Amino acid sequence: CCVVSSCFRAGEEEQQAQSKKALKKQQKEAEKAAKKAEKQAKLVSVRQETPVVFDVFSLRLCLSLSWIEADRPLVRVQDLTPEKAEQQIWVRARIHTSRAKGKQCFLVLRHQQFTVQALLAVGDRASKQMVKFAANLTKESIIDVEAVVKKVEQKIESCSQQDVELHVERIFVISQSEARLPLQLEDAVRPEGEGDEVRKVDLIIINLHRNLNTTTSQAIFRLQSGICQLFRDTLINKGFVEIQTPKIISAASEGGANVFTVSYFKTSAYLAQSPQLYKQMCICADFDKVFCVGPVFRAEDSNTHRHLTEFVGLDIEMAFNYHYHEVMDSITDTMVQIFKGLCDRFQTEIQTVNKQYPSEPFKFLEPTLRLEYKEAVAMLKAAGVEMGDEEDLSTPNEKLLGRLVKEKYDTDFYVLDKYPLAVRPFYTMPDPNNPKYSNSYDMFMRGEEILSGAQRIHDAQLLTERAMHHSIDLEKIKAYIDSFRYGAPPHAGGGIGLERVTMLYLGLHNVRQTSMFPRDPKRLTP
Amino acid sequence: MDHTRKDDDDDDDMNGEVDPALKALEERQDEVLRRLYEIKATVDGLAKTVSTPDADLDASTLSRGPAESVFRGTADLDSLLGKDLGALRDIVINASPACPPLCLLVLHALLCQRYQVLSSVHVHSSVSAVPPPLLSCLGPRHIDSHARQHFQLGFTLIWKDVSELQMKFNTQSMCPIEGEANVARFLFRLLGAEPQDPVAATQMDCWIDTAVFQLSEGGSKERAAVLRSLNAALGRSAWLLGQEFSLADIVCACYVLRAGQTTSAPVNVQRWLKSCQNLGHFDCVYPLLQ
Repeated sequence: CCVVSSCFRAGEEEQQAQSKKALKKQQKEAEKAAKKAEKQAKLVSVRQETPVVFDVFSLRLCLSLSWIEADRPLVRVQDLTPEKAEQQIWVRARIHTSRAKGKQCFLVLRHQQFTVQALLAVGDRASKQMVKFAANLTKESIIDVEAVVKKVEQKIESCSQQDVELHVERIFVISQSEARLPLQLEDAVRPEGEGDEVRKVDLIIINLHRNLNTTTSQAIFRLQSGICQLFRDTLINKGFVEIQTPKIISAASEGGANVFTVSYFKTSAYLAQSPQLYKQMCICADFDKVFCVGPVFRAEDSNTHRHLTEFVGLDIEMAFNYHYHEVMDSITDTMVQIFKGLCDRFQTEIQTVNKQYPSEPFKFLEPTLRLEYKEAVAMLKAAGVEMGDEEDLSTPNEKLLGRLVKEKYDTDFYVLDKYPLAVRPFYTMPDPNNPKYSNSYDMFMRGEEILSGAQRIHDAQLLTERAMHHSIDLEKIKAYIDSFRYGAPPHAGGGIGLERVTMLYLGLHNVRQTSMFPRDPKRLTP
Repeated sequence: MDHTRKDDDDDDDMNGEVDPALKALEERQDEVLRRLYEIKATVDGLAKTVSTPDADLDASTLSRGPAESVFRGTADLDSLLGKDLGALRDIVINASPACPPLCLLVLHALLCQRYQVLSSVHVHSSVSAVPPPLLSCLGPRHIDSHARQHFQLGFTLIWKDVSELQMKFNTQSMCPIEGEANVARFLFRLLGAEPQDPVAATQMDCWIDTAVFQLSEGGSKERAAVLRSLNAALGRSAWLLGQEFSLADIVCACYVLRAGQTTSAPVNVQRWLKSCQNLGHFDCVYPLLQ
């Protein structure tokens, strides 16, 4: 009997223990459930209080944005003007700055070069949580905002849209930005101070994708796009044909030293230094007037403010009737049309760039001023420079000459004609009236060279003589010389660099500022 | 079957030749007309010679170009403008298209007769559009204009947004010259025709200043007074300084023409304006007066 009772007692204890455990378990579960219920209740209450914020568009849910087809039109920041006062509109823009002050949140919204002030205040359309939510949004995040446009009495000087502000009713986040930016945008837009130069340029280029977003960069590259467009339009109107030339070529065109070599299957090839050869072949094929826009590769190990290893070349070649000045005049007229077009249609961009990089507006004469090399030498000598009559112009001399020309004629753009033959490439046509000079010309903007051009030798025999005079291996240029053996019209041409022209037109000082993804001896990415 | 063309019923015979009698008649007509034109030109020339002192027209020439230079003095460009260093000695004039410098155009025509002048007209980017007569006011482009060093002088006119006319020559050693009359004095010196007599020189300057300050900048009363004194002076002699045509005549005539209403000007003034016109140097001015 004792054994049974002890067993029974053990069982009872066990049972008691078990029930205690169960009870504890139950209690724990009850607590859990209670907490959960509380949470739910809170959530529900929060939801009820702020139905606006935690709406369908939650922060991470809608990355693709293509799961709803909304018809609502988005107004651009630049179109927010007093005409839209009292209208309720949707705007998509980036958060430029955000600042909370008590029951209000001030946002500045930005798109491209344009900024507008937006105001979110606690009221019947917005809750306290919503204002807090807006204030905590990270800079550069892209948001959609539903707002009413309101006129302001006092101009908002710090924004581009100075006559209106937005009274925000709803905010949705389209793409959130990380909290810490690699470069503060205000720093990128502030004018340069002393000692900032090198570090700033490097920082800016490393964070290029951020830098491209500044108002100044937007303006610079829009203007650059305009230059390219005006170049094309003007030449097409003059009857030119656009051609595409190969960039992987078998022989270096300008000279052996500054050319990139690439491996080409079992041999090597070169990256084209200029489309010279192919432009001329098109003229020999009777295209009459051609131009091409494409990359140019120069393996020059020079780290200057105006050299890149890869840049965009805008090249022209034209057959003429009697005198190479027909071509030269055509080129200068094209440049003048580009300058006029930029002045007429891109004033906003020019002013935007000037705010950060002040400079004198670009001046020119129509028709373009043409000086001769001898005159330039005389002008420099009168200014105290010692140089030989057939010496090439050094960069400081070019700059000085630019200043002298500016002083006398008040123009930033001019042509220098009749260079000495000795300093030009072998394919330059000599001057028939004076064998020491050539039918070649350079064009300058703000005292820096932007175009080097000439009448080309179109006779195979003369070309061979000149090549031998320059000690060039005839075997290497056999194909080039051959293209003139079967009737070639007299022709001339020249080419400009898009980045350099943009830089000089705007009065900037480093070509890397006008190249979206610059390439130089030390830079290969982005 | 041969397909023969029907003969046309006209003067041509089968070979398309004209009847010789008709041809001779046409030639006689051409000859008569040519002689008529020659006689007309001679009469015109004589008329001008009679009414214009100092003009030296070759009356039998058919061309209507300006007279031989009325100025026969010589000027040494090297001493006036500095040694020729192999660069074109380019005179740059910046003028507003709202107020074209008529005297300078007349002086330009005179300079072209004396020297080899390379003339060019440019429009500065500060000006949006310029009426076509202003673009061709220096005459047609010289055939040899691509060879700049063959010219003794350059005359570059730039239409620009300036408040006052300005001339630049040697920016290293000369400051700019401002004002149409002052530039006119400079250019006149290049013709070597300045009056040597100090009294005459002073009178010339006096007339020029009168034109600048009273004719152009003065009110209508002052203008009328100037026209009266011009009339008085021109009653005594053919030109303002006496028998010699001078800068005083050029400047005053241009300012009178620019002021307008020349048909209501006093008699001597009108006669004098006609004489100026007959000299031919003012041909460039009249198209701009419209």
